[in-house]
Amino acid sequence: MTTIDSGHIAPVQAERRRPYGLLLVAAPVLLVVWLIIWPIISAVITTLWVQTPEGSEFSTGTYQFFFSDGYSLSNLSVTLWTTGVCAILLLLICLPIALYLRFSDSKVAGYVQGLAIFPMFVPSIILSFAFIRVLGPNGTVDLLANAMGLPKIRSPYLTAWGPVIGLVWDNIPLTVLILLSGLGNVSNQAIEAARDVGARKLQVLWYIILPRIGNSVLVAISFAVLGIFSSFTLPYVLGPAAPEMMGPFMQRTFRELFDPRNAITQAVITFGFCIVFGLFYVRSVAKNRTP
Amino acid sequence: MSVLKIKDVSKIFANGTVRAVDNFSLDVADGELVCLLGPSGSGKSTLLRMVGGFERPTSGLMIINGEDITHVPPEKRPTGMVFQSHALWTHMNVFKNLAFGLKLRKVAPDEIKRRVEGVLDLVGLGGYGTRHVAQLSGGQQQRVALARSLVLEPKILLLDEPFASLDQHLRERLREEVRDIQQRLKITTLFVTHGQDEALSMADRIVVMRDGKTEQIDRPDIVYREPQTPFVAGFIGTMNLIEGTVSNGIFSKAGYSTPLPVSDGPAILAVRPEALDLTVANDNAQGKVHRVTDYGTHGLVDLELLDSTRVKAMVSHPDLFRAGQGVRLAPKAIAAYRDNAVIHRA
Repeated sequence: MTTIDSGHIAPVQAERRRPYGLLLVAAPVLLVVWLIIWPIISAVITTLWVQTPEGSEFSTGTYQFFFSDGYSLSNLSVTLWTTGVCAILLLLICLPIALYLRFSDSKVAGYVQGLAIFPMFVPSIILSFAFIRVLGPNGTVDLLANAMGLPKIRSPYLTAWGPVIGLVWDNIPLTVLILLSGLGNVSNQAIEAARDVGARKLQVLWYIILPRIGNSVLVAISFAVLGIFSSFTLPYVLGPAAPEMMGPFMQRTFRELFDPRNAITQAVITFGFCIVFGLFYVRSVAKNRTP
Repeated sequence: MSVLKIKDVSKIFANGTVRAVDNFSLDVADGELVCLLGPSGSGKSTLLRMVGGFERPTSGLMIINGEDITHVPPEKRPTGMVFQSHALWTHMNVFKNLAFGLKLRKVAPDEIKRRVEGVLDLVGLGGYGTRHVAQLSGGQQQRVALARSLVLEPKILLLDEPFASLDQHLRERLREEVRDIQQRLKITTLFVTHGQDEALSMADRIVVMRDGKTEQIDRPDIVYREPQTPFVAGFIGTMNLIEGTVSNGIFSKAGYSTPLPVSDGPAILAVRPEALDLTVANDNAQGKVHRVTDYGTHGLVDLELLDSTRVKAMVSHPDLFRAGQGVRLAPKAIAAYRDNAVIHRA
């Protein structure tokens, strides 16, 4: 008969109980608490507890101002509009690219992938400069249209579409990579099985592929939205002066109007919107990890 | 009457150097189960995928019930395929997996329910409709995959190594069940496998393939007893293939010789282990026992001829033999091959 000597088991169990895992994550967790969580708490406290000659008192004045000020609200709505339009365009552009890259065996797919990932290596400021040179007034497109005798096209530069074009271009690589990773989980045989039972290509996409990559779509959109909502460089360089996106709005309130409390309030409100999408992301990740 | 006719079909892959299927022809009769058997890379799966419409033949014709389907896409073919990896849609439950094809055909919901439940009963999964695919065992998943094809009542059922991912016990049970269902429904079936046991136990006919070509098409018993080429002889079951020369009607190889009434020249002698009698011989031994394995019901003697050529013999009393002993060989049934063809069988 086989017996288990508890004396041999005990040290192993004790070793397992040692919090090596927790120690490994302790440093990054502490950094996150110090550099992210604490500034958030600090920002919320700063905006809600006002220093008066009598001491500090609770006040929602800056929030009331933000939500009653037409200019602040139009800045928020232009940010939401830009984020929504960018998210839709990213999905419309990146999903076909990712589908092509996943299911194509041709050599061209390699070049397409290279091109799709290329924007990742271009800094936003360079992208902005390139945008102005190509799509700005008297840019390459303008000159070509003029040379061909075509009428002058209104440039998207310094309009609401300027940041949209720049942000979409900037976010293509990450979105394509996340969608591509999701499509990697859809086996060729699952698709062939669908075709075998009579599904046409669009039906395969709608009934088989999209439900299987739902989480990846959610993650890609969450990432894109988080980045776009709080973006600064592209909206600052390419966007209109008014209304403006929250990033440039915060910077201007802080630097030009010397109003740090309202700037921090704008940051807290922006964070509030971002955290909703952040929760979508966390939910997707948690769902993926559930066996 | 043949339901499926494959005529001079070839498949050359894009780079133009790999000829996966080479001028292959086959007629499959109504209700017949034909096994495509061969080693990896023999072209059997490519051929099946061409019948299913997932690969396009480079040349040749494919006809189902008199209709040319060579260039018909898979969704419009009257075939149903069961994949090696089951290929179930994990975001759907069992019922939805089966109902999907019927919904695409716009079958009425009541009829869908009736047919799905009927097929689930047929494969022994009655009441499993609401189960999620991930909750099923490998064998149950394979049954669902089979049911998903059967529910559409295809004219031809295509099985691509459907039991390859299952354990031996389950594989044996499922192949019996699949054979029962196939015979009950009288559905014409093309079955790809590299397992000779599967082919021998299930098929009405076996097509042995090698390098994209047909080596032999016959009933399982004939493929086993009368292999047409040395490759088939070596691939089906265990076969001793001894390369030697024939001179004056005597085949000889390193001290071993036996009468072989064919013309002089090189030959390959094929003897099954069960057709080789051994006798212990201290003098004039033709070989030496290398190892004896006792399987309980029989024994397998691994022996060496004088030039170290290995030969296997099945014996009923393995205890009579031991390593190092000299033996003489007496084949009861032999075949001989030359230039990839049979030249003698006795």
